[in-house]
Amino acid sequence: MKERAAKILTASIVLAVIICICVFSFLAVYMNHRNSETIKDVGQLYMSGMNERITKHYETMIDLQFSQVDFLEDLSREENVDEEELHKILSDDGASKGFESLAFYYGDGDFDMIYGSEFITENEEPFMESLKEGKNKVAAGKDSEGDSVLILGVPYEGDQRREGCVAMVATLPLDYVAEALSLDDEGTLVYSFIIRTDGSFVIRSYDAFRDSYFQRVRELYDETDGMTTEDFIKQLQASMEIDEPFSAEISSQGELRHIYCSTLPKSEWYLVTIMPYGAMNEKVEKLGEQWIYMVLGGGAVILLAMLIVFLQYIRMNRRQLKDLEETKLLAEEANRAKSEFLSNMSHDIRTPMNAIVGMAAIGTANIDNKEQVSNCLKKITLSGRHLLGLINDILDMSKIESGKMTLSMERVSLREVIESIVSIVQPLVKSKNQNFDVFIEDVVAENIWCDSMRLSQVMLNLLSNAVKFTPEEGNIQVFLREETSPLGDEHVRLRLQVKDSGIGISEEFQARIFDSFSREDRERVHKMEGTGLGMAITKCIIDAMDGTIEVKSRQGEGTCFDITLDVKKAPAAAEQMVLPPWDMLVVDDDKQLCESTVASLESIGIHGDWVLDGETAVEMIRQHHEEHRDYQIILLDWKLPGMDGIETARRIRSLLGDDIPILLISAYDWSEIEEDAKAAGVTGFIPKPLFRSTLFYGLKSYMCEESSESGGQENTGDFRGMHILLAEDNELNWEVAAALLEDLGLELEWAEDGKICVEKFQASPEGFYDAVLMDLRMPRMNGYEATKEIRALSRADADIPIIAMTADAFAEDVQRCLDCGMNAHIAKPIDVAEVAKVLERCIEK
Amino acid sequence: MTLQECYAAIGGDYEAVIGRLRSEKLVQKFVLKFLSDGSYELLCSSLEEKNYEEAFRAVHTIKGVCQNLSFTKLQESSSRLSDALRHGWTPEAEDWIDRVKEDYQLTVDAIEAFRLESEAQ
Repeated sequence: MKERAAKILTASIVLAVIICICVFSFLAVYMNHRNSETIKDVGQLYMSGMNERITKHYETMIDLQFSQVDFLEDLSREENVDEEELHKILSDDGASKGFESLAFYYGDGDFDMIYGSEFITENEEPFMESLKEGKNKVAAGKDSEGDSVLILGVPYEGDQRREGCVAMVATLPLDYVAEALSLDDEGTLVYSFIIRTDGSFVIRSYDAFRDSYFQRVRELYDETDGMTTEDFIKQLQASMEIDEPFSAEISSQGELRHIYCSTLPKSEWYLVTIMPYGAMNEKVEKLGEQWIYMVLGGGAVILLAMLIVFLQYIRMNRRQLKDLEETKLLAEEANRAKSEFLSNMSHDIRTPMNAIVGMAAIGTANIDNKEQVSNCLKKITLSGRHLLGLINDILDMSKIESGKMTLSMERVSLREVIESIVSIVQPLVKSKNQNFDVFIEDVVAENIWCDSMRLSQVMLNLLSNAVKFTPEEGNIQVFLREETSPLGDEHVRLRLQVKDSGIGISEEFQARIFDSFSREDRERVHKMEGTGLGMAITKCIIDAMDGTIEVKSRQGEGTCFDITLDVKKAPAAAEQMVLPPWDMLVVDDDKQLCESTVASLESIGIHGDWVLDGETAVEMIRQHHEEHRDYQIILLDWKLPGMDGIETARRIRSLLGDDIPILLISAYDWSEIEEDAKAAGVTGFIPKPLFRSTLFYGLKSYMCEESSESGGQENTGDFRGMHILLAEDNELNWEVAAALLEDLGLELEWAEDGKICVEKFQASPEGFYDAVLMDLRMPRMNGYEATKEIRALSRADADIPIIAMTADAFAEDVQRCLDCGMNAHIAKPIDVAEVAKVLERCIEK
Repeated sequence: MTLQECYAAIGGDYEAVIGRLRSEKLVQKFVLKFLSDGSYELLCSSLEEKNYEEAFRAVHTIKGVCQNLSFTKLQESSSRLSDALRHGWTPEAEDWIDRVKEDYQLTVDAIEAFRLESEAQ
């Protein structure tokens, strides 16, 4: 296929080249031919004009001379002058007119010289004939010195004084004629001769030295176009005989000449004008050559352009073929990955399915054995849950792959997200006996705009992998740091790291880790379960959030995932997080954690010291006690090198008594150590990670206990007297909501559908309602439309917080609510704490 | 029949509802009120008229009520039916209509029995 295309291409190029050469060659030859024809035509025109001009010139010159001679002849017939006197007058006058000599002619060579030397007339007969007939005539002759002269004869009228006198003749030097006619003008290409019928020269010019022009023709000229010199002479003579102009081309030594011959009046002579084409030809030929070069050059340029186009086309073609091949390979690869995935999947799905079917069979067989049945059911539940996880992953992936994933941005508390993740991971970590820790650094904005569900999903994915691939007693750490974002002050850059000391990932797989359906194909991961979609989903989510995820790993040493996200800051809670300026001691073996905790404490107004182990801590507390400036609160890590937190607490208690609260900090579940801790004298517990707000709320209750007694409930307090408009079409739902929400102290107004809701809102005085709770599916007007109408009202409180309440909890629905202008979304069934939280958030805004 | 037994018969989650509403009296009040809720009739009539938009809304309301009262079984079937009717009629809806009818009947029967018993006391 490729070869065939190349062949066709080559053939067409060759064809194009041949056509180009043919066309241009033809053009060149044709134009050249046309050129010489045109030169011939131009030559002919030019020559005839030239001859005519010379002839005219000759005629006027001769006529002038004749009139002079006429005048002398008239003079010679004057009767009152004697002969001697007459001779003198004629001599003076003739000489002044430039005549060489003057004589009376009596015919038959008989001259009566008036002055000047004697001369002989050549070819006397026709000369005499003409004169006798009374016509002026010129002839050539020779003077006594042998120089050629022009003889002008004017018939003599009347014969009173000179009997038998035929004419008066005067001579002029022939050179004068040649000069006057400028027959041999240097500077022009053209030269002329005057010849007689027999070819002999009357006037020679140029380089002619022979006696006869015909002789010159015979010797100088070559046969031209099949015409010999003899033919040429014959034709010339024939034209002369019938007095017609003759025009011909003939070459001399390879140079073409144009010859034009015409009769000169009042003589037996002919004017031959010759123009060598040489010079003109040279110029024209040069033009022709230029022509050919231009044509050939043009042809070459066109050919070159065509060649370039062809080459370009071929290259493009090649590239397309290559691309096609690559795409094909990619598609095949993707296909292979998918079928591999399917075979893996079918194995992964079959395993829990087998467990379910098998356990169901065992359970059925032992239906009366309650213990066995419950055991079976437990295993079925576990397998079912695992299966559900697999299916959820696949559905999630297909949703992401089809581009349907939407992020529902909401105000998220990082503290809540991390805490919930920690609480989910805790049991996993515990079951594998791993060391787990969370580090928080420089978190300035705890509240951000993000999709909390997706963020948790990402973190859980990474953490569950870490747990899965880290052996017992291994370490798993989560770091959360905030940096300034390049997007400006409104944003903050989140750096999330999940580090483990697990089996690590091979370099080769690191490159593919974020591809769909890929799992590292190694012996040691074969017995692990998973779809191989987790990392792909993670990557997609991070991409959707415009963040980056990187992996660093070394086999056998551990893995570190590093996520960078730029998120928008959300306004912090209105509550000022300030506590009295107490002194505090923080005890933890991690220096960084100590420093960041102390920094957080300073920011809420507490002065903190820190130490790295239990022994030093006890020592410091003793010192301060002796100096009567006891710490007011002590934060103790549970796991400490050497003396652990519980032991340290016991020592401190024995030193200080029961006055000072000792709080344990840990990423582990409080319940498992609560008993021991309480026994050792620990007052309470603050879960890691230690956000500013974690510390604030954790410490506040203890501070309040000591500073004022009016602590108590802070979560569900300040709704008393608030007016809420609740749109809900179902009476039963309304009653449930009313019963629940009135507990919060809210005053509720019922709107039976969206339309009534809008009307009631419109009818209320401005600022009467504090918020609207809106069901979405209602007759007449649904929640979305009602929200839009309220928002479109021209009232000062048209931006009242509107909170959606619906049984649908899809991310798309939540997004649609926000798009319609609602502030938040609560899923049914109504949960009082949730409502309280959302209301608090929306109303303080 | 106690309220707890009634929930067991319905396939509901008594723990959840009492966790949210806190008082047994309140729960009992709402459960009895369920008998007079018109959404089910609206669902049936809308389906007969092939007005699926209205039917969707009705079954959605049933789902919401069930969520509030933690009638897990009916909530599930009505939720599936509402999904099937969300964008108009789909073939799956047929099966789920029967399930919803079945579950609704079961729920209503149990509540009716509970009501008779508690009134007799």
